[in-house]
Amino acid sequence: MEDERLRKVSSLQSFVSRPELGSVFGLAIIVVTFMSLTTVSGTFSAMWTNPIGIQAWVELAAFVGILAIGASLLMIAGEFDLSMGANIALAGHSFALLLTFGVPVLPAILITFIELAFLGFIMGTIVVRTGLPSFIVTLGFWFASRGFAVFLSQTLVNQSRLSVKPYLKPPAGGGEDPTLIDNIFAFDKAFGLPFDAEVYYFAILVIITAFMLHRTRFGNWIYASGGDAQAARAVGVPVNRVKISLFMISTCLACLLGVLTVMTSGASDPKAGDFRELHAIAAAVIGGCALMGGYGSVIGAVLGAFIFAIASRGINFVPFIDNNLFRVMLGMMVLGAALLNQFLRNRVLRG
Amino acid sequence: MTPTIQLNGVSKFFGNIIALKDISFEAHQGEVTALLGDNGAGKSTLIKCLSGVHAPDEGEIIIEGKPVKFSSPRQAAAAGIGTVYQDLALQPLMSVSRNFFLGREINKGLFLDLDEMSEITKREMAKLGIDVADPNQPIGTLSGGQRQTLAISRAIYFGAKVLILDEPTSALGQKQQLEVLRTINEVRNRKDIAIIFITHNDLHARLIGDRFTFLNRGRILANGNREAIDTDNLRSLMAGGAELAELEAELKN
Repeated sequence: MEDERLRKVSSLQSFVSRPELGSVFGLAIIVVTFMSLTTVSGTFSAMWTNPIGIQAWVELAAFVGILAIGASLLMIAGEFDLSMGANIALAGHSFALLLTFGVPVLPAILITFIELAFLGFIMGTIVVRTGLPSFIVTLGFWFASRGFAVFLSQTLVNQSRLSVKPYLKPPAGGGEDPTLIDNIFAFDKAFGLPFDAEVYYFAILVIITAFMLHRTRFGNWIYASGGDAQAARAVGVPVNRVKISLFMISTCLACLLGVLTVMTSGASDPKAGDFRELHAIAAAVIGGCALMGGYGSVIGAVLGAFIFAIASRGINFVPFIDNNLFRVMLGMMVLGAALLNQFLRNRVLRG
Repeated sequence: MTPTIQLNGVSKFFGNIIALKDISFEAHQGEVTALLGDNGAGKSTLIKCLSGVHAPDEGEIIIEGKPVKFSSPRQAAAAGIGTVYQDLALQPLMSVSRNFFLGREINKGLFLDLDEMSEITKREMAKLGIDVADPNQPIGTLSGGQRQTLAISRAIYFGAKVLILDEPTSALGQKQQLEVLRTINEVRNRKDIAIIFITHNDLHARLIGDRFTFLNRGRILANGNREAIDTDNLRSLMAGGAELAELEAELKN
């Protein structure tokens, strides 16, 4: 149907108002930069063609990206979860403890997920019932989760790092390290896949959440809850339920990483996931999520996670640049991205 | 003819504050009932009682002859009360059609039926005289008047028999105010919807109103149709009648 009032918007223009825009350019810039830098220092193939080099940044991107999915969904709904990294340690310890007490692997995973989902429910409920900023509420749990994890394992088994190797089966055909080869949950080992399991989980989760966000009722409600919660309530959107569910998704994503980390490393580590919540939030911001809510995308956060991972791992392949400069660079990227987002958001508001 | 909605002696108290006392009026389908009052007259409390946010402490609300009691806005909406709040309850960053269907989305299988929603939005807006070129554009591209129309057509589409408009013209420029009045007229011409038009602009009320109800300090000051209330009366009632006369006398001295 032809409509003479329809202002022709070129595909470039409609692309400009998408939240991922900044991160697409950011990713291109980062890739080109590190390709050039590694060429200069003669490490190009080590980072970009060597399987181990590729694994290094892809697996980091997946790890941060899984958290960034939760961070971006929450941020679009106008909330925050600072406790994600600490919840990785909590989940890992819970899983390892359950194994120590003789619970089989699959039930131990299930129980850990239930615990973490419940934690998300508690945090979400506190946020929506009290009206306290989620920043404060989850900061409380940022301390509490990790503290509680270490307290539990020290009190119950007098160790802060729990090895789970005795409870895992040896690999098929013998060998040194026992693995969870019989376990669908860490299927990379079972099928001999090139990447760690979290990479595949990441890919699946991105597809599911991106569709959920843009093509389902729940996704619509997420945007509305963060855009204008009062207006959303007025038309019957269950804002509180949406937010609580997102906190539960966030803690469950942390749980997934916690369990996978224990499985791949064979031990639970009280420092697991340290600072990862900030990396995930940085990825979400670089990916175009607005801190005030109502704007952003999962795809953007994913690109943000890749930007983070390539810069983070890439710096190791470039010996003439000091490692510490990575943080400086990351900080500037977060600032730049936030500025760009503000600009884009105002464009959308003004039309 | 039975009024579409009728209030009988409705009162609302907040502690020792009398927000509304003994409010009675009626609205008929195909008519605009203008509800006038200054700030603090109790207009917002009255809207909240009508739309199910507050339950009245005394009196009754009767819809199409049947007394009703709402314990939530959802119930009021289900009974055919469509409230368009001053802030319109729109999401500034979401598209026109997503706003139209927010909270009442159409699904095709697991996913949203975006095409169907766009089509309905376009059609319903066109009924009220607004041609939305692209329902997928963000709300930000609409004018204030067009947003008002969007909120109105949404309320009608989802079954409003009583359309409550809370100061729809107050935050707009001159041209857009007239656009909204034109939209209200379109709704009136459908003949099947009772419109309650809340305003403190006597000019707008006079232009579009069929019946008038004046609120002052939580009470009804006057009630009447076009014939019963002439223009001068309207203006002086708006300004609080006696108070205006007092001021007039003061200024003359």
